[in-house]
Amino acid sequence: METENFENKLIQMTKPEVSQLKHQDMLANAITKAKDKSVVSWWWLCIPLYIIATLLMKTFFIPGTTLISNIQKLTGKEMYSSVLFFFLLPIVFITINFISIRKIYLLSGNPKTVNFIFSIWFNAVVIIFSMLVILIYLLKI
Amino acid sequence: MKLPWFKRIGIFYIPKSMIGWIMLLSGFIYAVYIFIDIDSRSHSVSDTLINFVFNLIIIGAVYSLIGYLTSRSDNPD
Repeated sequence: METENFENKLIQMTKPEVSQLKHQDMLANAITKAKDKSVVSWWWLCIPLYIIATLLMKTFFIPGTTLISNIQKLTGKEMYSSVLFFFLLPIVFITINFISIRKIYLLSGNPKTVNFIFSIWFNAVVIIFSMLVILIYLLKI
Repeated sequence: MKLPWFKRIGIFYIPKSMIGWIMLLSGFIYAVYIFIDIDSRSHSVSDTLINFVFNLIIIGAVYSLIGYLTSRSDNPD
């Protein structure tokens, strides 16, 4: 009788299944964190980008001035804050977003290019704009 | 104080608790104050807008940083 019960129990038992892998959670978490970081980076990056946009407008409307001369004038007046917003912060953003992209890539294993680009496109945009800000800042040298 | 205060939707942090709403309201009141202050000293509409938008970006950047730091819950599990 006992053996029969045990056999019935064995028949009823199914293979233990894990509906969601821990690895999936880690990847989802990494993507969310990367998006959060890229959003904060973007807001702070808007400050130097806006200054560059206003300097471009100044170049356009005031004859005889160039973007480089305007940036030189700005960095002469605001030495420390210009280094902070045009050089140090963009370097920090590039580093943070690059690390986030690398983490997603490593956790994804061998991801399809389209899926991978879809999950990191905003981080890539932040990196590109950060590089642009540094490049424009270094033009004054 | 219990976290999270904010929830991220797109590139904006939306308040999720009373403290979050107080933060948003404070930022909004400060932005209005800045606008009135700049408007009283500026010479044209474009002068007002150019200076105000710059201040608005700074307020947004600080707000997003607060939102980022307080959008995680106390218990991640």
